[in-house]
Amino acid sequence: MELGNLIQVLSGGLAMGAIYVLVALGLYITHLTTHRVNFGQGDFLMVGAFLLLLFRKLDIPLGLAVIAVLVILAVMGWLLDRVAIRPLDRKKDTLIGAYSWMLTTAGVALILQNVIELGFGKTSQYSAPLFSSRRDEVVQVLGAGLFLEEILVILAAVLIVGLFYGFMFHSRWGKAIQAVAFNPEAAMLLGIHTNRVKVGVFVIASILAAVAGVLIGPIVTINPQMGLVLTIKALIVAAIGGFANPVGILIGGILFGVFESISNYVDSGFGDLYPLLAALVIIAIKPSGLFSERSADVR
Amino acid sequence: MKTAFKRSIWQVALASAFITCAATSLAQVKVGVIQGLSGPPAIVDFGESYLQGIKLALKDYQAAGGKTKIELVVYDDEANPQRAVSLAQRLIQNDKVPVVIGTVSSGNVLAMAPILQKAGIPLMAGPGIATNITTQFINEKPSYIFRCSMVEKFQIDQMLDWGAKTFKRIGLVHSTTGYGNFAAKEIQEGLKKRGVELVAIEAAAPGVNDLTPQMVKLRDAKAELVLNFHESFELPFRPMPRINYKPVVAGNWGLSSQKVLEIVGKDAIEGTVMGQALDVGTARAKSFDERMQKEYGKDYRWPVVTSLGYDAAQIVFKAVNQVGKADPEAIRNAIENISGIEAVSATPAKPFSPTDHECLDYENVFLGVWKNGVVTRLKY
Repeated sequence: MELGNLIQVLSGGLAMGAIYVLVALGLYITHLTTHRVNFGQGDFLMVGAFLLLLFRKLDIPLGLAVIAVLVILAVMGWLLDRVAIRPLDRKKDTLIGAYSWMLTTAGVALILQNVIELGFGKTSQYSAPLFSSRRDEVVQVLGAGLFLEEILVILAAVLIVGLFYGFMFHSRWGKAIQAVAFNPEAAMLLGIHTNRVKVGVFVIASILAAVAGVLIGPIVTINPQMGLVLTIKALIVAAIGGFANPVGILIGGILFGVFESISNYVDSGFGDLYPLLAALVIIAIKPSGLFSERSADVR
Repeated sequence: MKTAFKRSIWQVALASAFITCAATSLAQVKVGVIQGLSGPPAIVDFGESYLQGIKLALKDYQAAGGKTKIELVVYDDEANPQRAVSLAQRLIQNDKVPVVIGTVSSGNVLAMAPILQKAGIPLMAGPGIATNITTQFINEKPSYIFRCSMVEKFQIDQMLDWGAKTFKRIGLVHSTTGYGNFAAKEIQEGLKKRGVELVAIEAAAPGVNDLTPQMVKLRDAKAELVLNFHESFELPFRPMPRINYKPVVAGNWGLSSQKVLEIVGKDAIEGTVMGQALDVGTARAKSFDERMQKEYGKDYRWPVVTSLGYDAAQIVFKAVNQVGKADPEAIRNAIENISGIEAVSATPAKPFSPTDHECLDYENVFLGVWKNGVVTRLKY
């Protein structure tokens, strides 16, 4: 492969990988803290992309529109915990209650899809570039052409992972999250408001989906069905990374995105087969993921 | 005497009421419609557009004072073959329809067509385009399967005739779905017959978001013409400015959708070629276009698909009106012998015969090209 082509293919893979990272980080933080994930994380991203489209159609200034999307998604994260997850946690000792969050979060995802379909129709939508009036404006990086949003999403993923790392391991809030993750009862005895921490992680996950939703619109064609594939790929990324720390998720996401891109360059005949096979091999060799601890989780 | 007179008046009134009711019930016929109205966006675009045409045809039929009352029974197959089969059974057994129109996904049509053929209920297939939808039943005596839609082989043949004459280096990008693989096979065989080899064949999964790697390979293979047979019609256009590559794109009739124009942009789609069966230059097509815009506003996005939905429905409604009752056998015969159709699309006035159940034949299909935001007939 020529160097120019390699950089072009890698950069496209990095951009898609960065989107997977942002979605997977949301899955990671909620799984770490509550042992639950939002099966509609990709659909939250989709809602973010459509809300931005709506606000831009209403001629709301970009900055204000982005803030509005972040706030609305944060509220949706709070509602998700309060309506679809916490009430069922009271029944967690029963066989059905323990796993009911899977159904309820997937149910919320379906409701969101339908609401967006009612508002925008079931078809694909064009989402204009954020910082350019032309669709074909590209920035040249090392001989590869990239849309500005692709550079932004890569930077956002790296920056957010850095912030996440600092937040999780060096802040009081992060330590509270880890304490709740380790033992909620003990954390409560130590004065940590566990419910607040639990709802907080769903709010954080939703804000991450909003960030990805804002940045993904101009890179891909948005449609109400787009969430499921992103959720599945983000789950794979989180599994490769090991659900262990944000850096693992970053590396897992980039590996998956880049492998997806390169495999399509080498042989596109089987679509997503090669990246999915590679993920399967990694998980078969190291079931706990590339960056997890070897010791068993005894929570 | 007076009482006897009164009684006979009542008897006459009651008898008239019964006769009127009986006549009304006889003259009311349900027409089943199965369309893909949810699922992948491309399917929904096809299904909704075709249904828009069917509904406008019903409105026109009613306005023209059709003597048989027609009621549409519309179901959504969600692009799922199993659901299409169960809906076909439901239309036959519960709704007792004498004729069915549908659906988008060729796989769904091919799944439900044998059931309708066996039950003796005519099917007007559309907008599914797989080549073998009517041909595999045409030797049945009689065949109940008709179609009013594009035929994949005809649009591919037209495209290859033009492509082989005009370009030296042709590449292909297709989806890994059944449809995409089938189209790729037909294209490869068709080009082989014309003595041309594809310079690159690339594929992509249905839910993929980025075709940069595939387009880089097509660029490096120096493909001047890229045949696009991926259901997400806009995908090959996105990487082009990034990799500084501007081939001519040609493909499935889906490329004529206003939605694709909106997503890809007027400049980027300029010169893109696709199979067509609606010449917007004709007065009838123009007036149809204006009416559809008035009727559906921005939801009207696909003139050619809508026009074929309209023509499919007007053929079915005319046949039902001729028969005047829910008699599938008679409706089938009426459809096969129908004539005097004033079609919006390129469908001829007498589309069918015992050996041809397609609205469109090879000579009715032509190539369209995007020029200044409008699809016009390609001259070559």
